Amino acid sequence: MKKKMNFGKIFLYIILCTYAVVTLIPFLWALSSSFKPLSEIVSGAINFIPQNFTLDNYRQIFIEQELFPRWMFNSVFIATVGTGLNILFNSMAGYALARLTFPGKKGLFIIILAVLMIPAQVTMIPNYLILREFGWLNSYQGMIVPSMINATFIFMMRQFFVNFPKELEEAAAIDGLSRIGTFFKVVLPLAKPALAAQAIFVFMGFWNDFMRPLIIMTDSSMYTLPLGLNTFKGQFVSYWNYIMAASMVFTLPVLLIYAFFNKYFIKGLSLTGGK
Amino acid sequence: MEKKWISSVSLSLLLAGSVLAGCSTDNGGEGGGGDSGDKTTVTLAGWGGNPTEQALLEETLADFEEKNPDIDVKLEVIADQYMDVMKTRLIGGEGPDVFYLDAFEAPGMIETGVIEPLDEYVTDEFEVEDFEEPLLDAFKQDDATYGFPKDYSTLALFYNKTMFEEAGVEVPTTWEEMMEVSKALTKDGVYGYGVAPELARQYYVAESLGGSVVEDNMANFGSDEVIEALQPVIDQHNVDKTSAQPSEVGASSGGDMFGQQRAAMVLEGNWNIPYLEETFPDLEYGTAEVPTINGEKGTMAYTVAYVMNAASEKKEASWKLIEYLTGKEGMETWTSKGFALPTRKSVAEKLGYADDELRGSLVAGAEYATVWANGTNLPIITNNFNNQFISAFLGDRPLDEALKEAEEQANSEIGSEE
Amino acid sequence: MNRKYSKRSLKEAGQGYFFMSPTIFVLLIFILGPIFYAIFLSFNNVRLLGETSFDFVGLANYERVFDDRRAGIALWNTFKYVMIVVPSQTILAIVLAATLNAGMKGEKFFRIIYFLPTLTSSAVLTLIFMWMYNREGLVNFGLEKIGLPTYDFIGDPNVALTAIMVMNIWATAPFFMVIYLAALQDIPDSLYEAAELDGAGPIRKFWSITVPHLKPITSFVIIMGVIGTFQLFDQSYIFSGGSGGPDNSTLTVVLLIYQYAFKSMDTMGYAAAIAFVLAIVILVSTLIQRKLSNEENLY
Repeated sequence: MKKKMNFGKIFLYIILCTYAVVTLIPFLWALSSSFKPLSEIVSGAINFIPQNFTLDNYRQIFIEQELFPRWMFNSVFIATVGTGLNILFNSMAGYALARLTFPGKKGLFIIILAVLMIPAQVTMIPNYLILREFGWLNSYQGMIVPSMINATFIFMMRQFFVNFPKELEEAAAIDGLSRIGTFFKVVLPLAKPALAAQAIFVFMGFWNDFMRPLIIMTDSSMYTLPLGLNTFKGQFVSYWNYIMAASMVFTLPVLLIYAFFNKYFIKGLSLTGGK
Repeated sequence: MEKKWISSVSLSLLLAGSVLAGCSTDNGGEGGGGDSGDKTTVTLAGWGGNPTEQALLEETLADFEEKNPDIDVKLEVIADQYMDVMKTRLIGGEGPDVFYLDAFEAPGMIETGVIEPLDEYVTDEFEVEDFEEPLLDAFKQDDATYGFPKDYSTLALFYNKTMFEEAGVEVPTTWEEMMEVSKALTKDGVYGYGVAPELARQYYVAESLGGSVVEDNMANFGSDEVIEALQPVIDQHNVDKTSAQPSEVGASSGGDMFGQQRAAMVLEGNWNIPYLEETFPDLEYGTAEVPTINGEKGTMAYTVAYVMNAASEKKEASWKLIEYLTGKEGMETWTSKGFALPTRKSVAEKLGYADDELRGSLVAGAEYATVWANGTNLPIITNNFNNQFISAFLGDRPLDEALKEAEEQANSEIGSEE
Repeated sequence: MNRKYSKRSLKEAGQGYFFMSPTIFVLLIFILGPIFYAIFLSFNNVRLLGETSFDFVGLANYERVFDDRRAGIALWNTFKYVMIVVPSQTILAIVLAATLNAGMKGEKFFRIIYFLPTLTSSAVLTLIFMWMYNREGLVNFGLEKIGLPTYDFIGDPNVALTAIMVMNIWATAPFFMVIYLAALQDIPDSLYEAAELDGAGPIRKFWSITVPHLKPITSFVIIMGVIGTFQLFDQSYIFSGGSGGPDNSTLTVVLLIYQYAFKSMDTMGYAAAIAFVLAIVILVSTLIQRKLSNEENLY
């Protein structure tokens, strides 16, 4: 029995490590490139440890770009507020679609799915026109309000709630909690793993969003990080060194947030698995 | 504990955000860029580039503001997908007052009427004759001028001096010589000639035997003259095996391929000079005029102009900006470090690029270059050409078959549009 | 439900609309508005830039989709892509999630590493891959080391799409893995314990408990996978420099839509028509998936 377990474990570790290597290589290469001068990046050499280690690329970003703190603030603000609203609204909608009966529910659900099927390339211009009508160009509202719900995660939350044990809600109803009270006091706290997954994805969506700010933000003080740090692509020549450093600068904060939310996945596990 | 911390942080963010949002609506005014006091704000949009180059542009703009204390210039750098963003903003009526426009995109944009004709603003002092004529012509339609080229580059032959010495060959002046020396220069992973198999670079080659790539605004690159002219490019790659495109040697551009010493010769533009200097400082190289084809000189020229938005509400101030940027003084500052070549003959003369060791051959090309622009349908034509030319280049299908099919496809797309 | 709503069901309907209200608000103004505008465009020949003009052409734009040779190629490329990528990434995601949920040491570490591709923006990832895939890049270096033939992944039409597929599977699987991981937390341990008492091994437990329990999430993963892969754009745009070449091998439907919407003037209406044809194709595939998996719960 014990031997068998060990064999299985070794096998699992081999899978885990192989995939970890496959995943780490591109990332490490980008990381190491961000410390290389351009000449070393384009030299075509496959070395992970920079031969001519330099911090110039980061210096260019942090020091030469006067607006860097402002961009950082814009990104953090938009992503934080946007994520908060999304978690609340998507979960509410997902819950209603999974648990409540109301006329038009089926139609609404199909519409929510169907809007995902239309490529953004054809709605980009009308979207822009609407934001202009509202006077929301160059504003935080323009970034946050149209994205304060997300069809993908409404759908995901619905699929989570469909699986949810009904008994808990019934018990809450007997205790005299209203539907709304049940949702906030019983259902949401139990859906933590799903909410954590949602939070990370939504945050990342806002954080990495490039097209929307590119179009609506003309004022450089309203740029978000990816936009501000992406001006190194020339018409004929691209400055990979700066691009890689910039991509590291906007990947690391999300990585930290993920590491933070990661404990919600672990927690579920330790409750049941802590023998 | 942690939760409290998070909620207080988000609360303060929210507050700070609304304060900032308030500020920006207060001084931003309607639709971005109203007039504050007596000052007129002119918005100028372009794409990004080298940090040094950007600093040069800012310097030029600062000079302008100093000379025109009543005008403020707001620079908007569009980081990516420049034309898509520009079109979207123009459709929404929120375009910048002045912006960059590539000659390649110019005919299509001018036709829609979003670009202001500039003839009535021009004064004698501006000296329109001073511009290199073919470059200026790229921004003309029906005798009206819609933009003034800010700079340009032609292609020239960049050759690796060390490799040429080792192989004991001379710098080629004709296409035949170029094919010959390529053979001597090709050895273990190094190719004689690094080639870019795309229309933007091959256009003048395609037309070197009298054919035309575009005729009556329709694709015509399937004609026998064009195919015959391009065949050597394919043969050098597939028969002689003395040329390669960058991806075949693991480079991302011709400049990289040359810098990494994987190609002894490439045809590149002015942008390659500062790039090589910064990235491959030890490289020993020289430039020469593009080898002649059938005794005729030829090369490409790429140019970008400053144009004015026809919907701009500050046309007088916008013109002042264009006038300064493309005028003698502004152009001299902008091109002073050699990142770009001046389109005014007088500025070129003053800066002496014609006698520059590296830039001389690029400047010489201006006289006989084919400007990369031709009618409103060139984007569709280019797209289809590139898509199929590369399959012939890789030896997957014969050139005539590939180009004839691409031509047919391009013309069917153009046809159903009209 | 009858004509007469009981008081209780009326109340529930009210609660339903309350829960849905933010979603309905955004849908109506910011999502459906632009879509209706695009539908309108698809029945017209339009010029939006400069002097705006609309010329009603009925179904002509839709008819043109079926005559367009490149539209056919794009759809076929995209279809092949979906058929390979969706099953692969789903299986990879579920296996990774189950592995990471097996209660092993160092899980936290692996979870963070696996998540890296999802954190990085797809444009940067594509650039990294371009470097790894090039003629002398890391992938060919590895292939050569183990004695396999090498390829010009970027330049060669026969392998370009495959290269994009591998990259996409690798980059998307972790996203779905995280969702599976969250879903796995809901499975009561008692089920596994009971199965263990019956003498079930890890593989049988996986098939008889984990997989059925994850069904609603799997249908989410598959549907989102189908929607996402049908809309492949970034990678093929960067790989081919926007042309879809060589020889249309990396041409996808959305790349084609983009070309018509932005690269050529006055074809916005046609681009919108292709977009709706694509949406219908996706919708039909989703329905087929639903029939195949016999998912009662979905609609």
